[in-house]
Amino acid sequence: MKTYITIIFIGISIFFTSCTDVIDVNVPTADPRLVIEASLDWEKGTSGNEQTITLSTSTKYFEKIESNIVTGASVKVTNDNDDTEFIFIDQNNGKYTTTNFIPVLNQSYTLEIIYNNETYIAKETMTPVVDIAAITQSTEDGDDDEALEVNVIFNDPKNEENFYFIKFREKGGLLPELYNDNDEFTNGNQMTLRYEKEEDDDINQEEFKPNDVVDISFHGVSKGYYDYISIFIDQIDAGGPFGTTPVPLRGNCTNSSNPKNYAFGYFRLTQVIKTSYTFQ
Amino acid sequence: MKKAIFALIFFTSFLFPPQIFAQDSYTISGRIKDINNGETLFGASVFFKDTTIGVITNEYGFYSITAPKGNYTLIISYMGYVDLSQEVTLDSDKQLNFEMFTSSEELDEVIITAEETERANIKKPEMSVSKLKSETIKKIPVVLGEVDIVKSIQTLPGVTNGGEGTSGFNVRGGAVDQNLVLLDEAIIYNTSHLLGFFSVFNADAIKDVKLYKGAIPARFGGRVSSVLDVRQKDGNSKRLGLTGGIGIISSRLAVEGPVFKNKGSFLLAGRGSYAHLYAGAIEDALKDNKINFYDLNLKTNYKINEKNKLYLSGYFGRDVFDFSKNFESSYGNLSGNLRWNHIFNDKIFSNLSLIYSKYDYEISINSMKFDWIASINNYNVKYDVNYYASNNFKLDFGGNAIFYDFDPGQIKPTSSTSPINRLKLDEKKALETGVYASAEHKISKKLTMEYGIRYSSFVRLGGQPLTNYANNRPVIYNSSLGIYSEGIAIGETNYKDDESIKTFGNLEPRLGLSFQLTESSSLKAGYSRAAQYIHLLSNTTSVTPVDVWTPSGKFIKPQLSNQYALGYFKNFTNNTYSLEVEAYYKDVENRIDYLDGSELIGQNNIETEILNGESRAYGLEFLLRKSKGDFTGWLAYTISKSEQRTLGDNVEGPGINNGNWYNTAHDRTHDVSLTGIYKLTDKWTFSSNLVFQTGRPVTYPNAQYQYEDITTASYSDRNSNRLPAYHRLDISATYTPNNKPERRWKGEWVFGIYNVYNRKNAASISFGQNKETGINEATRTAIFGIIPSISYNFKF
Repeated sequence: MKTYITIIFIGISIFFTSCTDVIDVNVPTADPRLVIEASLDWEKGTSGNEQTITLSTSTKYFEKIESNIVTGASVKVTNDNDDTEFIFIDQNNGKYTTTNFIPVLNQSYTLEIIYNNETYIAKETMTPVVDIAAITQSTEDGDDDEALEVNVIFNDPKNEENFYFIKFREKGGLLPELYNDNDEFTNGNQMTLRYEKEEDDDINQEEFKPNDVVDISFHGVSKGYYDYISIFIDQIDAGGPFGTTPVPLRGNCTNSSNPKNYAFGYFRLTQVIKTSYTFQ
Repeated sequence: MKKAIFALIFFTSFLFPPQIFAQDSYTISGRIKDINNGETLFGASVFFKDTTIGVITNEYGFYSITAPKGNYTLIISYMGYVDLSQEVTLDSDKQLNFEMFTSSEELDEVIITAEETERANIKKPEMSVSKLKSETIKKIPVVLGEVDIVKSIQTLPGVTNGGEGTSGFNVRGGAVDQNLVLLDEAIIYNTSHLLGFFSVFNADAIKDVKLYKGAIPARFGGRVSSVLDVRQKDGNSKRLGLTGGIGIISSRLAVEGPVFKNKGSFLLAGRGSYAHLYAGAIEDALKDNKINFYDLNLKTNYKINEKNKLYLSGYFGRDVFDFSKNFESSYGNLSGNLRWNHIFNDKIFSNLSLIYSKYDYEISINSMKFDWIASINNYNVKYDVNYYASNNFKLDFGGNAIFYDFDPGQIKPTSSTSPINRLKLDEKKALETGVYASAEHKISKKLTMEYGIRYSSFVRLGGQPLTNYANNRPVIYNSSLGIYSEGIAIGETNYKDDESIKTFGNLEPRLGLSFQLTESSSLKAGYSRAAQYIHLLSNTTSVTPVDVWTPSGKFIKPQLSNQYALGYFKNFTNNTYSLEVEAYYKDVENRIDYLDGSELIGQNNIETEILNGESRAYGLEFLLRKSKGDFTGWLAYTISKSEQRTLGDNVEGPGINNGNWYNTAHDRTHDVSLTGIYKLTDKWTFSSNLVFQTGRPVTYPNAQYQYEDITTASYSDRNSNRLPAYHRLDISATYTPNNKPERRWKGEWVFGIYNVYNRKNAASISFGQNKETGINEATRTAIFGIIPSISYNFKF
């Protein structure tokens, strides 16, 4: 909600803007870091035993990514209560998988990765998600009152702080659309997260039309992850005139061997509802 | 408050030695006005020929000059007016009012000067003051043909802003919130319309403007960087008149004239933009959007008798945005001031002001069915006295008290189906008081000093709850994750209305020295200390209208600055040219900065999002000016540095940017501005303006990585990179058709081209993936390319 207000002023500045163009810029280069995408997402109603962790390294900003996958690391997750260990097996393509993970709601887990003789550690708690009450489509909501949008509607539980993360992905689309929200201003109410595409000739984008399909992943997340993903989403196209000043983003993966060489990414444990919606 | 009163009594008794009254001296006093419209003239020189005895008229045109008994020639001079001279036999106290003729018939309503001339005034200790005169301001080419006082000031050394489309201005490496902006003494919180495209000051309603970049006189307080003192016109007291202009974005109209049986005058000025025209020019996609602004200035005065005069002034300005009915926003300033000028005797002038000012914004987000409103209100009582003690000693003293009421935000659901709950952030109240005494003292023929002191105090009043934090730390540092987060709340303390949460007091000495080296050159030095009790927090690249003002209190300390300046001033070639060179160093304690990833909007506990720090700025400014002849203009150059460090006081952790100094967003290494005005004939005048500035500090990415199927940038340290250099050339031509002197209707056409060589100056550069190819790219946003403009100004 708060970010929405700043987004508005980005809109206003665009209104005045006669011109945006793509230019060459020299940017600095930092040493590569390990990137940990350890998203242990437990789809509601499944056993959640199959999980994947992806490791890669960061590269120069304007370099075409050829091979930045990380192989040869040792990856394990431990249940902090009963010390059950889940070993993730190196698939030699940057992915590390397990088929025997046991998710427990509100249970804390520890991730340990040993890579290049350095040990990376992260802790996180499995966070539940509420059910989706309805998925609807409309035109009058959203930024454009003529364009189609999909609305994911859910009821926020009272008496607790809740944090949400949602990923929309149009079938055949290149990039997903990420949103986050919390119940600070909406506690106990019916909340809606929506995805609308506006027509934009510059990037060949059209509005949604009937038969377009959108995949939806709706997660309950921890406060720590919410803070992280807020900044991440803010910075997907950072640096506009009224945008928040971009900052170095740190997740929850520390390096116990060499604290300065912390990893990018996050160890998250979420319950998720996956579904898809076809526009009528 | 008691302390403050004692301080006032102490200083006044100290500075009022009775022996100052020389036995055989007499005083002439009075007011200086324009003969055509009766406007009082601020900054006119009144002096006795062939002596060093002279004064400058105050804001209300009043002067008082004292000299030993004898015969003198009294000269009154003011830029743009014909000098007056009168023989006087000084054998008793006299009252003489003068009316001056303008030296040209040009359409000329804004008087952007408070000094005798624009060239360096070498005798007064006053330094670090920016001034421009009226015709000059109107001739500087400006974007879209709108005369803009704030933009014109930026052509002088030491003044910059965040770039096109940003609000406010920066003085000597200071932040936007460190400028005290006064319109008829009322505090103006937002100086821009349309997010920085126009200033809120309607040139037709403004009489004079003065910018103090340093060496701020003791009568001003509350901001650490600068004071922009803007005064509205009183209104024509001779006859009814109309002034106006028609431009491509907005039009303006002012009406003024005598009232109260010629015992007073009034001015009513309005300005508005054409929303539909504007929106019509934009692409179809935005056709439902409306955007506009308007403002209204009012001033009237009533002369009770020779010794008493009342003034009432008001301002109301508003910006309105309406986007596809889904989002509506409006914001603006409202202010009013009632003043009473009282002349005790020919040596003592006083003014009492009652001032109200308000800034508020309102946002309606219809798609989420809620309204968001916020405001800052203040009530200010101010009393100032000018005491012209003798020909070498003048004393100003007075005091003021400001009561603030901050309403940082309320959320109201607009329908029963709104997902948003009603919320009101805690209102905050505070009382800021100040007393001061300041003397201008001619110590010898060559040395003049201006010394003063201000005692300010700030009481953060109760009537609100405050969160308590474990270990009294609103921010904590997680050393293993290397991130700051909000402190652990351990309950609340509820402060009653009559309780004070926190009290601060500061002594602010101010000192200026002028040493005359030769008849045409001088050295000046200045020192000023200032305290600032309210802060504007922003974590966006540019200041936006929704940024939050927050008062000092339990967790936020007042900003305290020291500024040292040294200058050399010279007039040469028969005062055709002047050179001003100034060096300054400024430091500010308690400059807060936001934490990485902070959320400032709708935040009830702002202390959990910020860290305390410090800032410093230093620089060297050159100003070479040619002020006589058909060709006039100036070259301004500043080399400077502005940086800050945010260690975070008693919070653990390294601080922002690992505790290292980093550039402030308003650091500009080089800032060059060349302005030239050439009068070809009586009908045609040409002018041009060339600007070059080092690019603004920004934060660029230094790596990329994939996460959630998105390639994202990892960013380097705060403000460690720069946008490309900013430069542009503007030109304009003014055509004045043959105006017969007997015709009352006078018109002129102004043709302009902004950014002649169509430089795409980056207002910002954003980094992200191309939505079609997924490849990383840097996108430049340039606000204004080449823009031609035309406007017509008239006067009746």
